[in-house]
Amino acid sequence: MLDTTTQPRSVGLPTAPRYAGWIGRAASSGLYRNTIGLLVDSRRVRLAVLAGVPLLWIAMLHIGPILQMANISLLANYPPQPDKSSEYTLANYGLFFSDRLYFVPFVRSLVFAAVVTISTLVIVYPVAYYVAKVVQPKNRMRALLLLLIPFWAGELIRTFSVIMLLANRGALNVLLREFGFIDRPIPMLYTFFSLSFGVIYLLALYMLLPLYSAIEKIPTPLIQAAADLGAGPFQRFRRVILPLSKDGIVSGCSLVYLTAVGVFAAPLLLGGPNSVIFPEVIATLFHGSNDKWPEGAAFSMIMLVVSLTTVGLFMRIVGGRSVRLM
Amino acid sequence: MQPVVHFKNVNKSYGALTAVDDLDLAIEPGQFVTLLGPSGCGKSTTLRMLGGFDSPTSGEIYLEGKPISHLPPNKRNVNIVFQDYALFPHLTVGRNIAFGLELKGMQHAAIHKRVTGLLSLVSLQDHAERMPAQLSGGQRQRVALMRALAPDPNVLLLDEPLSALDAKLRQQMQIELKSIQQKTGKTFIFVTHDQEEALTMSDVIVVMNKGRIEQMGGPDELYARPRSRFVADFIGQSNFLEGAVVSVSDGIAAVEWRGNVVHADVNGTSPVPGERATLALRPEALYCLSSKPEGRPALKGRVDQRVFKGAHTTLTVALENGSSLLVQIDPVALSHIEGDDVWVGWRDRDAVLLAN
Amino acid sequence: MRTYFNDLPKTALGASYWIFAVYLVLPLTLMTAMSFKDANFIAFPIGNWTLSWYAKVVQDKQFLEASLYSIGIALATTVSATIIGVWIALLVSAENIWGKAVIFALACLPAVVPGLINAISMRIFIRTVDIPTGTFAIILAHTVHAVPFVVIMVLTRLRSMPANLVDAARDLGADPFIAFLRVTIPYLMPALFGGMIFCVLTSIDDFVRTFFLGGYQPTLPMLIFAKVQGGMSPEINAMATIVLVVTTAIGIYAEHFTRRSRS
Repeated sequence: MLDTTTQPRSVGLPTAPRYAGWIGRAASSGLYRNTIGLLVDSRRVRLAVLAGVPLLWIAMLHIGPILQMANISLLANYPPQPDKSSEYTLANYGLFFSDRLYFVPFVRSLVFAAVVTISTLVIVYPVAYYVAKVVQPKNRMRALLLLLIPFWAGELIRTFSVIMLLANRGALNVLLREFGFIDRPIPMLYTFFSLSFGVIYLLALYMLLPLYSAIEKIPTPLIQAAADLGAGPFQRFRRVILPLSKDGIVSGCSLVYLTAVGVFAAPLLLGGPNSVIFPEVIATLFHGSNDKWPEGAAFSMIMLVVSLTTVGLFMRIVGGRSVRLM
Repeated sequence: MQPVVHFKNVNKSYGALTAVDDLDLAIEPGQFVTLLGPSGCGKSTTLRMLGGFDSPTSGEIYLEGKPISHLPPNKRNVNIVFQDYALFPHLTVGRNIAFGLELKGMQHAAIHKRVTGLLSLVSLQDHAERMPAQLSGGQRQRVALMRALAPDPNVLLLDEPLSALDAKLRQQMQIELKSIQQKTGKTFIFVTHDQEEALTMSDVIVVMNKGRIEQMGGPDELYARPRSRFVADFIGQSNFLEGAVVSVSDGIAAVEWRGNVVHADVNGTSPVPGERATLALRPEALYCLSSKPEGRPALKGRVDQRVFKGAHTTLTVALENGSSLLVQIDPVALSHIEGDDVWVGWRDRDAVLLAN
Repeated sequence: MRTYFNDLPKTALGASYWIFAVYLVLPLTLMTAMSFKDANFIAFPIGNWTLSWYAKVVQDKQFLEASLYSIGIALATTVSATIIGVWIALLVSAENIWGKAVIFALACLPAVVPGLINAISMRIFIRTVDIPTGTFAIILAHTVHAVPFVVIMVLTRLRSMPANLVDAARDLGADPFIAFLRVTIPYLMPALFGGMIFCVLTSIDDFVRTFFLGGYQPTLPMLIFAKVQGGMSPEINAMATIVLVVTTAIGIYAEHFTRRSRS
């Protein structure tokens, strides 16, 4: 019979206390028992400790900033002058509807986000399906990892890297000219094309992961059963795979849409004068030489409400149960 | 002797649902007590209240004479072996067992000695450095048992600990559990829905139903003298005969049943002639003969179905009075094939009258 | 014939995967290649190759300072977001808590609010409570952004935790706090690790929050952004490549670790 002390694991180690570690010793000490030990005995104290910090945090930093933004969006002047009472007004919202300069980029932003979302879905769906159902299970993580690698680089670096491809003397134009397809470079950068290209590049992951996990959950025998009952590839896709991956489509589209609506770095680097979208408009109201915070706050509120409502309606109509974030 | 555990008029309800209904139960020290019953009978709630994970809606629980109803689990000298063992997956076997000892402030050397001692009790002394995931089901079971025994509890609670094991291993563990209980001399309170487990291990079985105690007693007593239809049905198999009491003499009641007069032990009840009564009758207590016996009561019938069960053979006998009885006979008996006429009877004391 | 038709969709799917993979990898590869160009402007073809941009970047005081600043912010964000996230997750998973679904939804709010709105509302908020823009404001905003993800990861792990593990610890003499330290925390470790890596990477990557809340000291993305606006040269590519390699290494290591601990 073996003695536990001669186990290979403990060879060469000093016979330090394997048992009675610091937590055990601390917990059994009189000091602990008479302080924290007494406190956690009370259900009320436990509940207060458990709920206090989270509720305070959520109220202060998750809800507070948005409420304050809503508040400021209704102020006539900000920051309030000490001698004047701050008046509430709807003028900041009125400005939005009265000026094409603000209204057009807003609509453009919504359309842009919708186009990006649909394009991403169409591009990513076959890829997600391939990884989830065609690739052998043992290679699946590797196949997914290859797609994840670019996403560990940050938003800015990925946006920047798109310039390498699309610039006038970027890889694509140089290649096209080498082969004699074009004489002069096609101006691709600083257009809607480069902006969409970059944003899809940024957000594909948000579509890929929910789609992948939804498709992976579809039992393969179900697809085989459909084939056995005479459904061709298209029928199988339309009547079995597509409905069963609805959850993934809903969460993927919601995430991509919400991010695309508020995308900020990409238009700064890839967009041009003809592709000004709403986030840039809002940003100038905060960062411009004469900042107009109440107007900016009002515009932000409009964007927040409209984008969340759009996604909410989309989820209700398509009928996904809820957005799963991961 | 002072009971080690005493439930006094304990009630537990969840909203409109009553889980434990006016429970009065005293458990003597050093016994192997089993709470037996179907799921939802309140046995697990009873155990959880004793462990400190639920508190009674009313009533009081005493542990060695002290009220404990409102003590948290960590302040009770009672330990549980959980249904799926609940071994800490991130700690070695040794550290799992040491968990309770460390919290008592014991030093390394003393803990090491106790852990080694406990592990050798179940022949796992060379497994102290393994992780729980590396153990077989039976080994995990033993580690969980030793972890619960380590802090030297007054009472050890076992919550259906054998249900996850396969049949062979379960039988082996039943014997092992019983022998550990005898070696340590501790009070074990074991919860199960498996009557065979209860019969094998227990000194005392408490049969529970709908939050109440149906009957409490030794395994043989419960088997031979079930007091209620529920107990007679839950433990083993029984034939139930419903009739009206004709007369009582010398502890034997005569009951009119479908035109026949049959006899049964009054079994602690006080039957009144004319009242309705139910008899319980074990299939193995019945005798089955090919011809009418002399001087012994018997009812005529015909073998309807014959099923070979290995250790015995079961007959379904359709009686002339329109009823049918289950009868257990020798598995290799050549007589009594399907369609044969038979005479079925029992000794008066082998049938018992049930409380209404 | 039959197999041909059956294989056709499969081949098409495989092709879509590889085209997509190239689409994802190509721009970053081009960016890396450009960092070796021996000229002070960005254009293809590369022509002569050099390592001098890297030599310049690793000696660039601005770059090193920005790196340290970004790492410091990321670490502070990680610690605070992990603590708050675990705390919220525990509250949401606790028994007998009224309005758990609402608390959970509000805890996730910063993850569904568009990033720009998030940044702007934080900017307004810190002005209201008189916090200056700068390090603390950035950490606060990054933490708010990371908390929902930590909450979700921890909750997912908590749901897979056998309910009676904590009961067993309590039964063996641990009070709720000790049971939390000795059983719950070790069980959560893989999720905590994943969450921490996520916090580090999102914090280092973040642009929009830092843009609105930052002070004079630039973080890495802000530095790169400033350089891009000041005129492009392969120096930026070298910087971006270094950041890319480091963050990718962290990401791959985290993937590897979580997969190993899962099996």
